Amino acid sequence: MTGSAITADYVDVRNIRIWLARGGDDGPPLLYLPGTDPDGEDPSLPLLSRDFRVYRPHHPGFGRSDDDPAVDSVLDLAFRYLDLLDALRLDRVRLMGVSLGGWIAAQVAVLAPDRITRLVLADPAGLRPPVPVPDMFTLDPVELAMLIHHEPQVRQAAVTSVCEMPADAERFTRYLRNRAATAHLGWNPYMHDPKLAGRLHRIGCDVLLIWGASDRLLPPECALAWQQALPGTRLELIENAGHRPQAEQPAAFAALVRKFLA
Amino acid sequence: MKIFGFHLMPYQGLSQDHLDSTDSTWVTLSNAVFDPARGHALYQRYLDELVAYDHAGFDGVCVNEHHQSAYGLMPAPNVIAAALIARTTCQIAILGNALPLRDHPLRVAEEVAMLDVISGGRIISGFVRGIGAEYHSFGMDPSLSRDRFYEAHDLIVAAWTRPGPFEWYGRHYKFRYVNPWPRPLQQPHPPIWSPSQGSGETVDWAARNRYTYLQTYSDIETVRRVFDGVRAAAEGYGYSLPPGQLGWALPVCVADTDAAAEAIALPALDTLFNKLIRMPKDLFFPAGYTSAASAARIMASRSGLGSGIADVRELVERGYAVVGSPDTVRCKLEQYQKELGFGVLCPLFQFGTLGHEEFASSLALFAQQVMPALRPLGTG
Repeated sequence: MTGSAITADYVDVRNIRIWLARGGDDGPPLLYLPGTDPDGEDPSLPLLSRDFRVYRPHHPGFGRSDDDPAVDSVLDLAFRYLDLLDALRLDRVRLMGVSLGGWIAAQVAVLAPDRITRLVLADPAGLRPPVPVPDMFTLDPVELAMLIHHEPQVRQAAVTSVCEMPADAERFTRYLRNRAATAHLGWNPYMHDPKLAGRLHRIGCDVLLIWGASDRLLPPECALAWQQALPGTRLELIENAGHRPQAEQPAAFAALVRKFLA
Repeated sequence: MKIFGFHLMPYQGLSQDHLDSTDSTWVTLSNAVFDPARGHALYQRYLDELVAYDHAGFDGVCVNEHHQSAYGLMPAPNVIAAALIARTTCQIAILGNALPLRDHPLRVAEEVAMLDVISGGRIISGFVRGIGAEYHSFGMDPSLSRDRFYEAHDLIVAAWTRPGPFEWYGRHYKFRYVNPWPRPLQQPHPPIWSPSQGSGETVDWAARNRYTYLQTYSDIETVRRVFDGVRAAAEGYGYSLPPGQLGWALPVCVADTDAAAEAIALPALDTLFNKLIRMPKDLFFPAGYTSAASAARIMASRSGLGSGIADVRELVERGYAVVGSPDTVRCKLEQYQKELGFGVLCPLFQFGTLGHEEFASSLALFAQQVMPALRPLGTG
């Protein structure tokens, strides 16, 4: 076990500055693609940094990263992440994505199966849910924070953080920019790509699905769509977690990831 | 002053349960509630009321576009404009076509040109983005709204003015052959109006293009600030804004006395502002519909039409509507014109629950006892 200090700075990727957090100084490289609000607290990052060199970017157009006029879709973002791997001189990586990041990660693995050695998808968007799901774009920030968290304390902290956000104009503007960027990628079709399911067979590596057992934004039934497109894929449910198991049960989450990626 | 009679064609007949609830009147209010037979009667009545503006001597009538709502029954304003052509001789202002909602802006260029040619050049072509709820109803990415609006506008004006066929290769629209038949009768094209609630970008865009800027639903201080902004923007583009390039649209109710007008108007305004416009903020201002900085201001403010209940008497005091006896309404509008300098007024005599008799009597009093005094103001 080594030190797990997290540092973050900009990386230039074809003239777009991508904000990149790095944790861990040995172990194999892990590219970790976050969800729609990459600014949020992520307690899984220091845990994962004990075993991996973790790279956690803010997607172009999100958080502290630049707008990228070339990005209109998750497919465009996936190409940009291949550019990021080139910029970081990482040939082959372990790849993990949560929520929106899971959708992007699956798309990256479809595009460049030779560069991804293992893939973890946690509560991923990207496929059409087989059950009715709420429309996140009709929810205000408080309603959304209530919906995506399960543990009462975590939920209360998230609601408080959202309520206090307007006082921090920069953070609040970034949050609203994240929402707009999410709308741009996932307004219609709602948070998925109808073509993706038919392309997932191109993924060449083992895949682990993780789902918060109490995810109400993308309920665990959504895992069926992934298992249908990727037969034999294992699903691990994390109890007492909603849409963000990495935030609500970071130890259980990190243990599953570590075991699969080791 | 030019006077244009506005109509929203609200659906009258919502259940008391819905009116008393906090449910959205937009996007998700089930259309099972819409009674087509009642709708037929309402369309007949509302078309008659628009024609009544022409008979009252107004310069024109205004129609507009909204979707999936009891707020208005005009999802296709060009259809209403077509229904009015044969029954009127005045101008017909379409306020407007919501450009970003169209996958094919050339269809707007064609329809408006048809209306202009058929009507003998009586069409005013308003262009709007549509309110946020429309982006839910049409599944249209709101973060592209402004870009699509600008490009669709540029394409339509080019289609009206440049001899075709030519190629359009934009970011959002790509057409090998732009060559719409017919071309508009008015040259170089029908007047373009820009209805808005006062966003800085729209104010600048209207002033730069010398389009008539029309302010809707605002308190008087907002109208003053926005109109000052339009004038300043015009100065920045090197010209002095004529009054005819500033318009104001608002509910107006005239009755024999102030008390009688209030008794008629206030309940109807309550329905308009507190029930028909009602929707959650995230429907009104979806993610990406405004810049992140504007969105931060909107989300942080607790007020604003559509969310929460407004005191209608206070709304009238703040200038959202003008209500009173002929003397009161005349004095207020004269005073506002003097202070604000507009040359186009678009009063709405039917709003909310108002019936035809109330509409007709209010319109007649306005036409006889208010309009003549306004005519000489704001010309040039």
